[in-house]
Amino acid sequence: MSVDLHSLMAPYALDALDADERGRFEAHLDQCVDCQVEIAGFMATAVRLGDAVSHTPPPALRGRLLAEISTTPQQHPVVSSLAERRSLRRALPRMAVAAAVLVGAVGVGGFVVERDRAQDEHAQNVAISNVIGAEDVATKAKTFDAGGSVKLYSSAAADSAVIIAKGLPSPGAGKVYQVWMIDQAGPTSQGTFEKGGQMIMTGVSGADRVAVTVEPTGGSKQPTSAPIATIAV
Amino acid sequence: MPASAAQLKLVAAPEHDAAPDLNELLVRVGRGDEQAFAQVYDELGASVFGLARRVIRDPARAEEIAQEVFIQVWQSAARYDPARGNAKSWCLTLAHRRAVDAVRHDQAATNRENRYDWSSGPDYDEVEETVTITLEHEQVKRCLEGLTDLQREAVNLAYYQGYTYAEVATALDANTATIKTRMRDGIVRLRDCMGVSA
Repeated sequence: MSVDLHSLMAPYALDALDADERGRFEAHLDQCVDCQVEIAGFMATAVRLGDAVSHTPPPALRGRLLAEISTTPQQHPVVSSLAERRSLRRALPRMAVAAAVLVGAVGVGGFVVERDRAQDEHAQNVAISNVIGAEDVATKAKTFDAGGSVKLYSSAAADSAVIIAKGLPSPGAGKVYQVWMIDQAGPTSQGTFEKGGQMIMTGVSGADRVAVTVEPTGGSKQPTSAPIATIAV
Repeated sequence: MPASAAQLKLVAAPEHDAAPDLNELLVRVGRGDEQAFAQVYDELGASVFGLARRVIRDPARAEEIAQEVFIQVWQSAARYDPARGNAKSWCLTLAHRRAVDAVRHDQAATNRENRYDWSSGPDYDEVEETVTITLEHEQVKRCLEGLTDLQREAVNLAYYQGYTYAEVATALDANTATIKTRMRDGIVRLRDCMGVSA
């Protein structure tokens, strides 16, 4: 098995694996120190192939990007303990030279997940901006004496609503805030957040109101406490 | 600010402008620095767009993918660690994978529409020619020319066309074990020819 995976090193560096094999190879790569050293050189070589075909982009792209990032939230760094970083250094003495490992090596596995998440986030950000920027948007807000606010933006045209919670007090250890959309059939969970967050809800035309409750971490199937906020849609 | 400090900064400034350290810039992007992002774009926009265009071919679609790549750079820059690699490699690796995923996704959609077209395969001569003509980097071009035909075709189809090695095997009428070996031989030879140190 490991011999077989080893033969995938060059195809991996060239991005010539299908999604399944890519996943299996990355899992193998996490375990295989020899592979990590060799893959670094392969990936650096692939980057040179990529850099050789540069082409001036259309001028409008720059402006569009700068406008888009100004409203796009960023991921936070991954925190690894000092001990983890030290053991990584011991395991990979040659990695510093092979700096071009980039995402390579240990980072690769997480990288794929990160990419998918970034894609989802991007789609969600676009959807959220569309609701907030809709012509028929209606805004309702509730602020709390203890600090923080919950705002609801709804658009009948988009049949969607966005809830943005900011600066709420900590829900307490082992607890989260959970958002519910309530219609005639009862409450449906929309997701959870801690001190703040934003989420988009679709299919709101039949909904009466949106409520926020405090629930155990992971959320509940049905609300188990009285809402801290209820906003009519 | 004391006058001397201001003067010092003025003197030092041109050097900084001439060679912005891309790794440092990307770290700043991770902290939300939009100006640093603009500089990273100015440095890497052509590399990222060119790569997307080479793999995807349709310039409008390539522009879309380049935009997604840079948004992803913005979103995930905080995860970039300069100790593990340089910023350019980080961005180009990300760009290549995204372009390949896009071309395969589009291809799968086309296949669903026209299943009978799939067996016709690529037009080889055309592929070879375009790649050779537009390669700007002389060294890369020379090193690719130094490969055997099968090695070069395998590398070209995989890297510049987004083929999986199984698709390369079908297109070149070879078995997959042979193709994996040729890719390996090809990339080792390219690495040594370009003097990549790793």
